[in-house]
Amino acid sequence: MSTANYTVPTVAANPGNADNLVEKITVKNLDFYYGDNRALKNINVSLYHGRVTAFIGPSGCGKSTLLRVLNRMYDLYPNQRATGTVRLDNDDILAPSQDLNLLRAKVGMVFQKPTPFPMTIYENIAFGIRLYEKLSKPDLDNRVQQALQRAALWNEVKDKLDANGLSLSGGQQQRLCIARTVAVRPEVILFDEPCSALDPISTAKIEELIDELKEDYTIAIVTHNMQQAARVSDFTAFMYLGELVEYGETTRMFTSPSDRRTQDYITGRFG
Amino acid sequence: MNSSGERPVVDVAFQGGGAISAAEKGDRAKILKRLRFGDNAFRHVTRAAAIAVLIILSGIIFSLVYGAMPAMQKFGITFLFDESWNPVTERFGAIAPIYGTVLTSLIAMLIAVPIGLFIALFLTELCPMWLRRPIGIAVELLAGIPSIIYGIWGLFVFAPFLQQHVQPFLISLFGNVPVLSNLFAGPPYGIGILTAGLILAIMVLPFITSISRDVFEAVPPMLKESAYGLGCTTWEVARYVVLPFTRVGVIGGVMLALGRALGETMAVTFVIGNAHRISGSILAPGTTISATIANEFTEAVGDIYTSSLILLGLILFVITFIVLAFARLMLMRLNARLGK
Repeated sequence: MSTANYTVPTVAANPGNADNLVEKITVKNLDFYYGDNRALKNINVSLYHGRVTAFIGPSGCGKSTLLRVLNRMYDLYPNQRATGTVRLDNDDILAPSQDLNLLRAKVGMVFQKPTPFPMTIYENIAFGIRLYEKLSKPDLDNRVQQALQRAALWNEVKDKLDANGLSLSGGQQQRLCIARTVAVRPEVILFDEPCSALDPISTAKIEELIDELKEDYTIAIVTHNMQQAARVSDFTAFMYLGELVEYGETTRMFTSPSDRRTQDYITGRFG
Repeated sequence: MNSSGERPVVDVAFQGGGAISAAEKGDRAKILKRLRFGDNAFRHVTRAAAIAVLIILSGIIFSLVYGAMPAMQKFGITFLFDESWNPVTERFGAIAPIYGTVLTSLIAMLIAVPIGLFIALFLTELCPMWLRRPIGIAVELLAGIPSIIYGIWGLFVFAPFLQQHVQPFLISLFGNVPVLSNLFAGPPYGIGILTAGLILAIMVLPFITSISRDVFEAVPPMLKESAYGLGCTTWEVARYVVLPFTRVGVIGGVMLALGRALGETMAVTFVIGNAHRISGSILAPGTTISATIANEFTEAVGDIYTSSLILLGLILFVITFIVLAFARLMLMRLNARLGK
């Protein structure tokens, strides 16, 4: 792990306004393997509460893989394993004793494509809440409404809560998925290319939403769209071939990247 | 294109393709003509194949109705409710075989549907990779066993086993429970409605399992991951995401299995006891429509006897049709409940 030849994350070294930053997730010396294939190489990165961290990089660089480590989604599949430490507050996520259901309730995820469950709009939200809490019907109604409002979807669906989630448009479905994630009151939300299947207007709405959500959550977003990373994030991490090349405040990353590869990527010379 | 209008087909096909000589145009027109001929032939052949289904189906319905006509005229609607089956006096009624058919299939479904779904869920959601193929192949082999083998196995092995070990236990277990004591009453014959239902359950299990496994595998991984991502357990994912998402396919598999159970002949004939009566106990012998037809066709002397058997066949056909229609209705109601 000492052979890493890339710039170590710079935020800690160059704090800027880092005084009031609270580390929510800390990744240390993380390696990830698909079978024998080492997909992540000695990743060190921190996610801060109330901030959006964007992961950019060309396809196959490991950004989604890194995201899937943070809620142990890879555990669903055989032959995938991670080594190193990933701390959520002071809890080791990678520990075998980690309760995966609890972890995933704390670390919510929104996917590349909208994935509403095959049930009504109301049930899509209530489903997740019921997993953890026993609420009376009015309380549950309340929570569903709050979640939909939080995802800026309430006004569009309040008259058709009994309609199937699949009857909504793509952008609405994605906001439904965000509402569903928010409803279980997570602490961290992972967005895995949340706008890659959406039109520009829906994309703008989701980005606006991310901006509103960030004060209450720790947010990580994987995106192929550099403008999007620049628009929504406070910190940006550039990944390449399984390595974290450079990590820092978004404004600095996009104006004066210190690594040649970062510069080439954000100016569109490859990727 | 310099000579547009002269050979419209070529012009359309090669618009923007640059200049080609007049001779080449002729060749290409010929090729296209040949392709169009092939296309037409293809259309007619496929249509003929589809229409053949309609012809065969209506032919079967017609001959069933035609053959059943004498019995229908003689007994009328009472045929459906009459329990007697007396070749000597030529009094026939269908209620006993209908009862047996429906009840054995019902028992089979009650047992096979949950087990089949559990096997399929285990195979797709929980099973370690190395065990998937052996179990999958075993299930498919189960489907490959000819029904006559289920019949002799059922008669010589399974029925005696039930008679000696299972049925006495059931009788004593439920002997003092109201309702159930009637259901499990009487001497343990070994053969009977319950045995037939159990054999049928084993026979239809592979259908339910392999079809549900295939549709479960078609669930988008991202959909399952988003449920896991909320913190769902495997059971919750299966119950609230996988099953609702695949309900059309699963119900299709169940209906296919039910169709097989309703019509299954050989294995049932061996173990059901072939008694034309309705008894409250599911341990008692009974009969099914297909078992009756198989047993008695060769000895059916007299037009009314034969005609009654054909009418039984027609009734089986109608029952299957009702089951299919019911399945459609159930799907529509499910869809309505899930929101449209």
